[in-house]
Parts: sequence; structure tokens; C-alpha cells
Amino acid sequence: MDLSYKEKSLIASLAVTLLVFGWYFLQFFSSRVFGHSNEFTFIDMLMPITLMVVLEVIIQSLLAGKNKEDERDALIAASSYKNGYWVLSIGVWLLLVQLLYVASGGGYDILLDSSPVFISHLLLLFFILAEVSNFITQLYYYRKGV
Amino acid sequence: MSQQTLADKVGVSRQTIFAIEKDKYSPSLEVAFKISNVFKVPLEEVFIYD
Repeated sequence: MDLSYKEKSLIASLAVTLLVFGWYFLQFFSSRVFGHSNEFTFIDMLMPITLMVVLEVIIQSLLAGKNKEDERDALIAASSYKNGYWVLSIGVWLLLVQLLYVASGGGYDILLDSSPVFISHLLLLFFILAEVSNFITQLYYYRKGV
Repeated sequence: MSQQTLADKVGVSRQTIFAIEKDKYSPSLEVAFKISNVFKVPLEEVFIYD
């Protein structure tokens, strides 16, 4: 399979994102099951973000290609951001509706935990899902055409 | 002429030329005209609209 520099870069970014944040969310949500989710602080949340940025810089510099972005790359990037936008929008709206419903005295809290720590992690989760959706869509367009 | 040579002359990546040949990407007018200019033939001889 002949992969372009851009496709290799996307696969690397997708792998790093899934590994780093997959591990982090597994830690957080499994700790929630045992009732310790409030032990996660803002600094704990910054760790995977920082780690991902560092790993991305290292991997992208190792993969650094000579080709600059051409019109096809720009079209694929623009088309794929739509999917990421929808994932993020749906997630944020779901959280907003849930929070407002609970705040207005609605009896049913589907989240089961409306603490700021949990809500912030759910928001981060939707951001990451949007990014993953973006990477996967780009890879699909590179393989199948746009 | 190789795909890389054509890509260099037109100003796109080799993968873009490959995608055009495989009908997986429709180039912009600018790129289409550049490709036809490289081969010194009219646009209609290079690209056919189905």
C-alpha cells in the first residue's frame, strides 16, 4: 500500500491520540466507577494533552516530508472538518441540554454525575472524538477519493 | 513522463496525479489547464466529462 506523507502523518496522529487519551479516559472513567473521579485535577487533565503535543511534535518531525500541502490536501482537510464539527456539536448540545435540565429541577440525570470534573472530562472526550472523526474521515477520503 | 515529473511541473504531489488518473479526484481548472499545457494538447484531449 503506497501511503503518502500526509496519510502516514494522519495515521501517526490518530494512533497517538487513541493511545494517549484512550489510556487517560480508561483511567478516569474506571476510577469513576469506584467513586474516585474527583481525585482528577486540572493538572491531571493537562498531562495527556501535553504528552500528546510532545509526541506529535516528535513524530511529525520524524515523518517530515518535502511535499507542501496541495489543493487536494486542502480540500480533504476542509471536507473532513465538517464531520468533526458535527461530532463536537452533538456532544456539546447533549451536555448543555442535560445540565440545563438538571439545573431546572428535572428529576432524571442521565449522566449520573454532574460534577464539574466529570462534565469537563465529558467535554474533553467529545473534543477528542471530534479529532478522531476528523482523522478517520481524512484517511477515508485519501483512500476512496473526494 | 513519470507521475513525479508531471506533479513537479504542475505543482501538486505525486499522489494527487495518481488520484486524478484513478478518477478519485477532480482537479481544479487551474491544475487541469496546467496538465494540458505540459502535454501541449487542448484540455478536451486530456479530460473527458462523463
